[in-house]
Amino acid sequence: MENKILSIRNLKKKYGKRLVLEDISFDVNRGEFLSLLGPSGCGKTTILRLLIGIESPNSGQIMKFGEDITSLPPSKRNIGIVFQNYSLFPNMNVYENIAYALKERKFSKEEIDRKVKDIVEVVGLEEHIYKKPRHLSGGQQQRVAIARTLVLNPDIILFDEPMSALDADIKVVLRALLKDIQKKMHITMIYVTHDQEEAFALSDRVMVLNDSRIVQFDTPYNLYHSPSDDFVKKFIVKHLDMKVKSIEDSINAM
Amino acid sequence: MQCKSFIKREYLRLIALGGIIVFVLFPLLSLVVNIKGKDLAFVFSDENFYLSLFNSIRYTFISSVIATLLALFSAYLLDASSLKHKNFYVTVLTFGMLVPTLSIGLGIRVMFGTNGFLDTIFGLKVDGIGYLGLILGSIISSFPSTFLILYDALRYEDKGPYDAANIMGISRLSTFFHLTLPYLKVALVSAFFASFTWIFSDYGIPMELAGKAKTLPMYLYNEVLSSFQYGRGAIAGLFLLVPSIVSFLFDLAFKDNSSAEKQKKLVKPSKSFNWVTIAVLCLVAVLLFLPQLSFVFLTFIKSYPNDMTLSLINIRNMFFGTYGLGIGQYVINSVLLAILTGAIGTSFAYFLGYLAVRKSGRLAKVVNLLSVSTIAIPGIVLGIGFMFLFKSTNGIFYGTIAILVAVNVFHFLGTPFLLAKNCLTKINRDYEIIGDTLGISRFKILKSVLIPNSYSTLIEMFSYYFLNSMITISAVAFLCTYSNQPLAILINSYEKSSNYEMQGAISVTILCINVLFRVLFNFLKSTLRKNERKESENHMTLSRYQFELLTYLEANGKGRYSQRFLSDTLTLSLGTVNKLLKDLHELGYVESNSESELSISDKGLKALEPYRVRKAIILAAGFGSRLAPVTLDTPKPLVTVNGVRIIDTLLDALVNKGITNINIVVGYRKDQFEELKKKYPTLTLIENEEFNTSNNIVSIMKCIDMIDRCYICEADLYITNPDVIRKYEYTTNYLGAKVKETDDWCFKKSNGYVMSYDRGGEDCYQAYGISYWNEEDSEKLKADIKKVYNSRGGKEYLWENVPMKIMKKNYKIEIRSCHKSDIIEIDNFMELVAADPSYRNYPGSEKF
Repeated sequence: MENKILSIRNLKKKYGKRLVLEDISFDVNRGEFLSLLGPSGCGKTTILRLLIGIESPNSGQIMKFGEDITSLPPSKRNIGIVFQNYSLFPNMNVYENIAYALKERKFSKEEIDRKVKDIVEVVGLEEHIYKKPRHLSGGQQQRVAIARTLVLNPDIILFDEPMSALDADIKVVLRALLKDIQKKMHITMIYVTHDQEEAFALSDRVMVLNDSRIVQFDTPYNLYHSPSDDFVKKFIVKHLDMKVKSIEDSINAM
Repeated sequence: MQCKSFIKREYLRLIALGGIIVFVLFPLLSLVVNIKGKDLAFVFSDENFYLSLFNSIRYTFISSVIATLLALFSAYLLDASSLKHKNFYVTVLTFGMLVPTLSIGLGIRVMFGTNGFLDTIFGLKVDGIGYLGLILGSIISSFPSTFLILYDALRYEDKGPYDAANIMGISRLSTFFHLTLPYLKVALVSAFFASFTWIFSDYGIPMELAGKAKTLPMYLYNEVLSSFQYGRGAIAGLFLLVPSIVSFLFDLAFKDNSSAEKQKKLVKPSKSFNWVTIAVLCLVAVLLFLPQLSFVFLTFIKSYPNDMTLSLINIRNMFFGTYGLGIGQYVINSVLLAILTGAIGTSFAYFLGYLAVRKSGRLAKVVNLLSVSTIAIPGIVLGIGFMFLFKSTNGIFYGTIAILVAVNVFHFLGTPFLLAKNCLTKINRDYEIIGDTLGISRFKILKSVLIPNSYSTLIEMFSYYFLNSMITISAVAFLCTYSNQPLAILINSYEKSSNYEMQGAISVTILCINVLFRVLFNFLKSTLRKNERKESENHMTLSRYQFELLTYLEANGKGRYSQRFLSDTLTLSLGTVNKLLKDLHELGYVESNSESELSISDKGLKALEPYRVRKAIILAAGFGSRLAPVTLDTPKPLVTVNGVRIIDTLLDALVNKGITNINIVVGYRKDQFEELKKKYPTLTLIENEEFNTSNNIVSIMKCIDMIDRCYICEADLYITNPDVIRKYEYTTNYLGAKVKETDDWCFKKSNGYVMSYDRGGEDCYQAYGISYWNEEDSEKLKADIKKVYNSRGGKEYLWENVPMKIMKKNYKIEIRSCHKSDIIEIDNFMELVAADPSYRNYPGSEKF
């Protein structure tokens, strides 16, 4: 079986006259945790929207398991997505939120129940199963959103800056959960963020984007130790160095 | 499959667009088509036309200036005041929206007119019919909508600058001119236009009050319905369109329909300001209610103006009288019309709103523009357009209730459309995308997510359609035949035969129906809100942070807590505290008074109630061998340290926190515990005779069924900080203090929960024998302990090993951390001496 789950070939996307993606090509391995990292407006969210299928590229190809899915509708791609704003269905409780898509797929009641309960345990929400989203904290809501996608057993889950609305301590816990899920369930995850640390903490590989193109696509180690150009140097290396320095300073100040 | 649903979707959009084209654009076109050359020649040389036009412009201008100023004044006062129940004042001031303009005109006519009430009763001669009456009626009828525009604008104003101005000592008058008016600029012009358009195209007021004066709508009305000169009517109609189009374009260009969150004013106006507000609003209300009072009065008068004695004859006549009205048929017509319009209109407007907001592309923009633009078409214009276009369908469409429903749906489309749009804009845009990836169709998302989240808006839309259908005469007047005539038009018929009392009676009927339904709609909305709240409360387990903040406030009482202080005390981020307070305020769980002192509300206390610790179980059966020789004749819990029995430190802490249901399992020297009852009358002693031969699982089995939302404590903890016992506990937990190293029982933590429980360890939490068990875990614990106890060798277990080791998987036990100095463990004689030096020379101590 091929190890590549996704092959992206020469994607190009324009909004009107504005070019947002230019000649994007990359491969994603099975079970990999991949981050798309870059300043706002670099095109990372657009890549996500193309992968999920809510927008189509002007040219180029998206292949999943060697099959062209470029013009397949979102529901046929078996790719899940988790948004920054959770987007839970507000009138449904945790259970219903997760079960909804299963019901649509005509699973039996028992099967739905089993699947939902299993997944709820994975994300650690057993206590909150009958609560409505507005009664949950941001972190809990994001867990529901992850569970809702996870329950359909997707090949890939995309994350669109899922943690930028959360408190720092919750972020750390959620990151660990994500890593855990990824390892246990062997799901490929593609994660959009503008936060260098987050990308480095989570990813097997990080794709650095700037001005509509890929600047460097490598492991965190290589990105840090051999940045390909000045942008990467400034955006990654210098940023992380500064961060480390500020932590050292504050420790010294104590 | 994909293709099919695509076609289906397009199909629906086209139907929606087609509806607007057929029922809005075509009627307007037919207006133009019906104009012939000779009509133009006639109208433009007709002196009457010019007279009507100029007269219309003149009185409309004067009335709308006054109405706008009056509305501005009222809206400003109400908004700036700190009166309670502002909605009540709004309801009163907009009450006039519940009756047809004809009724308002009628009221003024019989109040001020020749032989009117003032004339006959007080001998006051006011020439009501004519100019003054026309202006007065126009002001009263256009006031509600004008007022609402301004009041809404003011409500969404950011009140921060007013506070700043107040603190800088700038007078209210000055802020009115320098802050309020500049802010209201657009809304004022918009309100003026709305008022102008309304008055300019209304013919209800002029019909009752114009007398010999002529107005443009009446010109149109007469040309079309009396002289059957459709072309001439159409020309007048086009003239009537002009101000509404100007007004519409203005709104389109300048008015911002978004409703941002506003900052509430902190500095409250003085009491006297509130009184002035009340006085002014009362005066305005009196003015507004004059016509209604007068037509209600009129209804109960025998024969106006000849016989002014009170009587119920008109009511009787209305139902079965000599006129043979059979009011019932018209009531049915009207209510049926209103309900159908409400149902169809609401669905249609909601669907258009859905297309405009939740879809993208050019079609969405077209739908939006077309739907909003229906606001610009006066009913009278749409009405004759319909008449020209559909006259030939007499009996099939024209002359049936269907055409009235259709004309009302489109005539009133604008506002419900905006309501739907506003509501749908606020619902997360990503649901459809999420649905796509989850394989849930757009239609399903609409049905089970969007609509359930729009209920209150849907009620509002329906109510708007309903109430307006009940009172409108402008469009339907041209489309009625004998069989489909609604109530409001009936007033019109009686106006022609100068039957005042009957007009009054019908007005009262309409008013009653509208009030009834208004109450019903409000009831529905408030039930909806109440259900939401109730469900909130039922399911509302507090969040962890909410719990922490509330218990802090409960324990520390009212005070001026800064967010910074709370953030430090509760070790939460400042942002979290800020959001918490906002949420809790919204939920009504905390309240702050005018001195910005924060406290927990009764509702907040109620919300905490599920977390209240119900009872305590204390295990005190053991011998306490390690404390010999002191324990040779005294059980360890009863040993005094610095003059206080060890167990008293625990009992005091419990009682202090309101936990009086205390159960102590005793064994060794059990009689000595009786002494405790003197000081703590509420405690219960439970005997365990097997204390010597088995482990503490036997003790807990003695009171196993008592376990429910309770503390389970060891009896030999010398508590120095009584706050380790709390009135409320969020969830199951075990008390522990972080230590570097210990050879005592301790646990390791993972994600805040107990991960392992062992004797001795490094970098762990030393376990103190105080644990709390929530409702759910209490149930589990009971079952599990029984199971272990009944197994072979079950009596040999320590009870805490059941949840902490043997059946660990069933529990999520939080570690509640305390400081090592909060509890002094006295495990051996040396430690006792360290805590209380007076034991140094205890008799027999040298042996140990």
